[in-house]
Amino acid sequence: MRDVGRLLLMRLGLGLLTLLVVSALIFGAVELLPGDIAQAVLGQGATEETLAELRTELGLDRTAIVRYVSWLSGALVGDFGVSLLNQQPVTDVIAVRFANTLFLATYAAVIAVPVAILLGITVALLRNSIFDRVANVLTLTSISSPEFFLGYILILYFSVHTGWFPSIATLSEDITFLELLERTFLPALTMVLVVVAHMMRMTRASIINLLASPYIEMARLKGAPGWKVITRHALPNAWAPIINVVALNLAYLITGVVLVEVVFVYPGIGQLLVDAVTKRDFPVVQACCLIFAATFILLNLAADVGAILTNPRLRHPK
Amino acid sequence: MNYFVIGYYALLIGSSCLAAHYRQREIFLLLFSLTLASFVMGIVGGEGALWAVTIAAGLLALAGGTAYSFREFLIIISGPLTARALRTAPLTAAFGMFVIFTYAVLGIFAPVIAPYGEAEVISQSFAPADQDMLLGADQLGRDMFSRLVYGARNTVGLALVATTIAFVIGALLGMIAAVKQGWFDQFMGRTIDVVMSIPSLIFALLLLSILGTNMIVLVVIIGVIYSPRVYRLTRAVAGNVVVMDYIEAAKLRGEGMWYLIRKEILPNSTAPLIAEFGLEFCFVFLLVAGLSFLGLGIQPPTADWGSMVRENATLISFGEITPLIPAAAIALLTVAVNMVVDWMLYRSSGLKE
Repeated sequence: MRDVGRLLLMRLGLGLLTLLVVSALIFGAVELLPGDIAQAVLGQGATEETLAELRTELGLDRTAIVRYVSWLSGALVGDFGVSLLNQQPVTDVIAVRFANTLFLATYAAVIAVPVAILLGITVALLRNSIFDRVANVLTLTSISSPEFFLGYILILYFSVHTGWFPSIATLSEDITFLELLERTFLPALTMVLVVVAHMMRMTRASIINLLASPYIEMARLKGAPGWKVITRHALPNAWAPIINVVALNLAYLITGVVLVEVVFVYPGIGQLLVDAVTKRDFPVVQACCLIFAATFILLNLAADVGAILTNPRLRHPK
Repeated sequence: MNYFVIGYYALLIGSSCLAAHYRQREIFLLLFSLTLASFVMGIVGGEGALWAVTIAAGLLALAGGTAYSFREFLIIISGPLTARALRTAPLTAAFGMFVIFTYAVLGIFAPVIAPYGEAEVISQSFAPADQDMLLGADQLGRDMFSRLVYGARNTVGLALVATTIAFVIGALLGMIAAVKQGWFDQFMGRTIDVVMSIPSLIFALLLLSILGTNMIVLVVIIGVIYSPRVYRLTRAVAGNVVVMDYIEAAKLRGEGMWYLIRKEILPNSTAPLIAEFGLEFCFVFLLVAGLSFLGLGIQPPTADWGSMVRENATLISFGEITPLIPAAAIALLTVAVNMVVDWMLYRSSGLKE
C-alpha cells in the first residue's frame, strides 16, 4: 500500500503544479491587452492624469510578477479583488452564484449517473441488436446538438405547450426545496440529456471491451449462467472504467453549464462569466476562469485516482 | 376510434406478422415493441401522439430513401475503386454525405439561392410567413430563410477555417515532435497538458474578453485552443510510423526532417488524420455556435445560426418553432459529419466488435 500512497501523492502534486501554471496563464493572458487594464476601462479618450490615478488604484505600477503573487495569494484565501464595474468584492458576487451552479450540476448528476450506467450496461449486453442501433443514433443526435437547441425544445414542449414547468429559473430566498427542484428541472434535464448520451456511449464501449476479454470467455465456457458472468466476473472489473467515465463527464457538466444557464436565465457562475466577458470586467473573468479550471482539473484528478485505486495494474508503471 | 387509428394499428400489426413470417427477427421486434408502445402513447397522448409517430416514421423513411439513392448515384458516377468502398457504406454514412453535400451547395451558392440579402430589412419585425418569406421575418424584419442560407456560408465557413488552422498547427508540431523527439517533444507534451486542462469554452471566453470579438481573432483563438487535440493524435500516429524500418532507411540516406514529414510520415497517417478532421470540425462548429449564441462570436449584421437562435428566442414563448430551425441546422450537420466519420474510422481501423 505504500506504493499506492506515493503514486497518489505524485498525482496530487502534478495536479497542483498544473493548477499553478494554469493560474499563471489566466493571469498572464490579461497582460496581452493592448495598453493595460486602465486603458481598456477608461477608453481612448482618457487623460493622462485619470489613467495614472486608476493605475495606482489598481496597483498597476508594480511589476507583473508582484501583482501575480499578490493575486494568487489573495485567491488562495478567497479574495479575488474588486470588480471593475461596481467596485464590489468579486468573492461576494461569485460565492452565491457558484453555490447555485454547484446545485444545478449536482441535481443533473444525481439523475444522470444511475440512468446512464444502467442504460449503458443494458445497451452493451444487447449490442448489435436493433435497440442498440436505435440508442446509438439517439445518443449521437443528443451529443451533436448544441445545448441551447435541447434547452429550447424542452422549453417549447414542457413550458409553452403543456405548462408543466417554468421556462425561466428564477430563484428567491423564500421557496421550499420542492419548488426549487421544480423550477430548476428543465435546465437540469437539458444537461442530463447531453451527459447521459456521453456517459452511455463511454460505458457501453468499456463494457464491450471487457466482455471481449479471455476470462469472460472462460467463465462462459465453463458453463456459468449469463447473469453470474455479469455480476461475478464482469462487474468487479467494470467499476474502474465506469468511475473514470463518471468523473470525466462530471467535468464536462461543469463547463456545459455556461450555455444552459444563459438559456434558462439561471443565476449561476456561467451566466456571470458571460456577462463579465461582454462588459470586460477582468477580475471577475479571471476569478470565474480559475474556478472553472480548478474544478475541471480536480475532477480529472479524481478520475485518475479512481482508476489507480480500482485497477492494480496501474500501480506498477512500467 | 377513427380510420386513422384503425389503419395505424392494422399497418403495424400486419407488418409485424409479415416480418415474423419471413423470420426477420430484428424488424419484428422493432415493429411489435412500437405497437405495444403505441398503446400506451395512444392512451396518454391521444391521436396526436400517434400522428407524431407516423410523421417521424415517414421522415425516417424519406431520409433512408434519400440516402439509398444518393449512395447509388455516387457509386455510378465514381471510379471502380471508390465505388467498391462506397458499396460497403451504411445508409447512415450515405445520409451524412448527402447532408454535407446539401450544406456545401447552400454555402457556395448562397447569394443565388437566397431571395434577399442577409442584412436587408424587408418588412416589419417578426412578420409571419407568406409566399415571399418562407419562414417569416426575424426581430429586425429580415428574411429568416435568406439568413439561414447565408448562415450556412458564414458559420460553417468560419468553423472550417478554424479547424484548418487547428489542424495545420497541431499536425505540424506533432510530426516535428515525433521526428525530433528529445527536449522539444517533452516540452510540447507538458505545454499541451496544461492547455488541455482548461475547458475550451472557458479558455475561449477568457481570450475573447481580452482580445475583443472580431472575425480574425475568433478564428485564430479557436484554432489555437483546439490544436492540442490534433497534436496528441498526430504525435501518437506519427510515433508509430517513425519506428518503422523505412524511416530508418530514409534517415540513413541522409534525408532531412521536411522530407521525412512530407514523403514518409504524412502519407502513412492520412486515414486517422482525416477522421480526426471530421471529429474536430464537430467540436469547433459547436463551440462557434455556442459563442455566437452567447453574443461573443460572429458579430451582427452577418447572418449566423448561433446568434439567430438567441435573437429570435422570444418567439419560442409564443409556441413558434422558427427560432429552432437554425439550431436544428447545426445539430443536423454535426450528426451528419459524425456519421461519415464513424464509417471512415470503421473502415480505416477494421474495427469489429
